Amino acid sequence: GVAMSFLKRFPPPAEGVRHQQPDTEAVLAGRTLGAGTLYIAESRLSWLENSGVGFSLDYPTISLHAVSRDLNAYPWEHLYVMVNAKFEEEETKEASMAEGEEEEDSDDDVEPIAEFRFVPSDKSALEAMFSAMCECQALHPDPDDEDSDNDYEGEEYDVEAHELEQGDIPTFYTYEEGLSHLTAEGQATLERLEGMLAQSVSSQYNMAGVRTEDSIREFEDGMEVDIAPVVAGQFEDAEVDH
Amino acid sequence: MDVSHSVKERTIAENSLVILLQGLHGRVTTVDLRDESTATGRITNVDAFMNMRLAEVTFTDRQGTVSRLDELFVTGRNVRYVHIPDEVDIRATIERQLQAIHRVRYFGGRDKGRKEFPRAKHK
Repeated sequence: GVAMSFLKRFPPPAEGVRHQQPDTEAVLAGRTLGAGTLYIAESRLSWLENSGVGFSLDYPTISLHAVSRDLNAYPWEHLYVMVNAKFEEEETKEASMAEGEEEEDSDDDVEPIAEFRFVPSDKSALEAMFSAMCECQALHPDPDDEDSDNDYEGEEYDVEAHELEQGDIPTFYTYEEGLSHLTAEGQATLERLEGMLAQSVSSQYNMAGVRTEDSIREFEDGMEVDIAPVVAGQFEDAEVDH
Repeated sequence: MDVSHSVKERTIAENSLVILLQGLHGRVTTVDLRDESTATGRITNVDAFMNMRLAEVTFTDRQGTVSRLDELFVTGRNVRYVHIPDEVDIRATIERQLQAIHRVRYFGGRDKGRKEFPRAKHK
């Protein structure tokens, strides 16, 4: 048979195997490589012939993959994989070199392309094989992609909070937080107001306006001035219906 | 229209024209590939890296041989050109996709908002 120099012996992948398909023939550019097992792993795609030799393909080198059920194009349903790399086919190479002619495809400007077909004996597995490859392919985004500005800097932040312009600033204080923001004067005012509130709650039927002895202070000119807050009690004897 | 579950992918889509391609889900589209082959099929998925998944594909390889593929996945790197169908309103498609992303982002409500990245790194 044809010596495929890229075939090597290696152990099957043990980690991250998304799908494994035994009894799968591998075909390269129309030439069969034998029957073996296809391993669709997160790190790379591997195929191992039953004898133990095989090859691996790195996802960044895979241009596309597809499920082909078109028997006019190829007589067996298979997973088609196009690779952006050259794989040696000894016979063909020697023939073209002997003739001293260059093949059409060996133009240096054209990127190398190798076409693999993986033909499982179990055709119903093709969907799962295809999906597993899609998932693994997505794990290897193009590192050479300079056009897209896909790196984002800064810490992740809560978009909602940012858009509501909250950030670290609260829109209201809790009691404890607020208390600490008052000046001494402010705190005194707060206590006075709270006292008034407490008094009005406890003496429900007292009304405003009565002057008590305590609240009158005499000035030098004899003027009486109310300086204390008004004490409830003006209409103490009134009947109140609430 | 499907919005990615990945915060990073949503951010990328929102800041590039990939968002337009994502708005083409379900439409029959022709994609020219880097190796001169073309694929015409129904777009079933486009991710933030412009990896494209198409169904019921008519594939013309670089030598001109036509075949049908049930499903095709092409890496973003190998997409050269996407023929936006004539009937597609490009601006409306982009706006619709942005709205879909914002719906996903605010779905959790206050304090459960998605985390996004504030800005892109400049190389």
